[in-house]
Amino acid sequence: MGITMRIVVASGKGGVGKSMLASSLALLFSKNKKVVACDCDVDAPNLGLWLGITEYDKKERVSTSEKAKIVDQKYLDDGILKVCRFNAIEKKGEKYTINPFLCEGCGACKILYPEAIELETVKNGEIRIKKTKYGFYLISGQLYPGETGSGKIVEELKKRAERYDHDVMVLDSAAGIGCPVIASIRGADYAILITEPTPSGFSDLKRILEIVKHFGIPYGIVINKWNINPRISERIEEWSGDLLLGKISYDKEIIDSIVNLKPVIFSNSKVIGEINKIYERAKSRAGLH
Amino acid sequence: MKIVVSTGTKGGIGKSTFAILLAFKLNQESKKVVLCDCDVECPNDFLILNQRLKNPEYIYQEYPEIDKEKCIKCGLCSKICRENAIFWVKEKYPIFIYDLCTGCGACWIVCPNKAIKTKKEKVGESFVNTVSDNFWLITGRSKSGVSETGPIVREVKERAIKFAKEKQADYLIIDTAPGTHCNVIQALLNCDKVYEVTEPTPLGAHDLRLSLELVKKLNIPVEIVLNKSGVGNRREIENIAEKFNTKITVEIPYSEELVKAYCEKDLKRVVGLIKR
Repeated sequence: MGITMRIVVASGKGGVGKSMLASSLALLFSKNKKVVACDCDVDAPNLGLWLGITEYDKKERVSTSEKAKIVDQKYLDDGILKVCRFNAIEKKGEKYTINPFLCEGCGACKILYPEAIELETVKNGEIRIKKTKYGFYLISGQLYPGETGSGKIVEELKKRAERYDHDVMVLDSAAGIGCPVIASIRGADYAILITEPTPSGFSDLKRILEIVKHFGIPYGIVINKWNINPRISERIEEWSGDLLLGKISYDKEIIDSIVNLKPVIFSNSKVIGEINKIYERAKSRAGLH
Repeated sequence: MKIVVSTGTKGGIGKSTFAILLAFKLNQESKKVVLCDCDVECPNDFLILNQRLKNPEYIYQEYPEIDKEKCIKCGLCSKICRENAIFWVKEKYPIFIYDLCTGCGACWIVCPNKAIKTKKEKVGESFVNTVSDNFWLITGRSKSGVSETGPIVREVKERAIKFAKEKQADYLIIDTAPGTHCNVIQALLNCDKVYEVTEPTPLGAHDLRLSLELVKKLNIPVEIVLNKSGVGNRREIENIAEKFNTKITVEIPYSEELVKAYCEKDLKRVVGLIKR
């Protein structure tokens, strides 16, 4: 394998078009490069839907986290209530209990109370693999609702995606700027930050940018649905300067496209030309030829 | 006081829009309302309400720090750390990789020589704004780069509950981050009712199922808010609702006027769009 490149699509705010853009870019890159697509939004994995995929070839349950379990009450005292930084340990009457929704499996309680606590591995999610009809693989994942360890599942997905021969890995990040997002962005060669022209879209763009800068990753900016508010769009454009990769119009066809599970670039949407331009710019800015 | 939560797995589905519209509506019905923005990674309610964040109060968390005079370079801390946040090679001092550290405390507990001290670091802030008579907003915001945001949500929520009790509020409305992991779970715990916000598209349906599974595990009463009703396929959402033994009780029709009001930071004028 030669030099490979990781391109991550991120946004801070949810619902601004990450998966729509990531799916389009994966398809465009696949025309003359070997691609692997990696859906890092393990809370709400939707990249598959944007590629028209609802069934996977392979599903594999994974365990990236542990949970503490009380095996013997008699070794416990009130000291344990203070140990857990995640407030997962409570006392109900005379009994100590561990709230599984809060336990992060760090093991701090077990260090102090080795006879009372055991750590059990939990299957907290799954990895899904699909060879798309476009020739490239999609690696997706799901953190089971209520489980912890999303960042670690993302790391696992990236490792898995790495196994497939590729020139370009397109990663679709989750919303926010916390643990799964940091895990998605870490190690990327180029970031595409997508936003929408609303006060929250702009504010969240600045939030995600702080993370991208923290890792020193080169980036470009895309404004989606720019015409829903040309005034704010203009402000973001000015603020972005040279880093703007392009703008995508709001088009109802995009909703029809997801309703019919048909990738946007195969629809009749007017945004295809706009996405193509963004693809060409991102490719050259990222240093891909 | 009732604690209700506006949540949903998908981003941009309308959680904040609904939470704010609900707050205005209850306020118009002469209820005392506290809205708490628990999407601490990307809090936006203050922007949509055209507020400048006021009355900041820091949120701290403890992180490990090595005391080189006491450290015997045994490496136990590195072995115990499940986040791989401590790098250690034989005969060297351990190095803490703060980007990976969750501040769980396992390392300073395990250290045989008490060589790991804790230092308090700012991980976030909370703010209090008075939006109008009997309508307050509490906002939580994580410091950027902080990975573990669940504990920040917990702290903000605790502050909001205390504040709401002091004000003798009728409702505490909590607005969550998108998703189903710890930052959302913290927001959902111990509340009286959950409003699951969704939209009639395959994405809305897919993510609604995940969210409902979480709420079911947490055993909280739940109702569905159908945003952008009128587009796409509502039948699918109704089927899921039925499967989870719940109903669509609120609808917000797709409206360009609403998008405009959102951008102009004036959702109050479209409160009438909510159908209960």
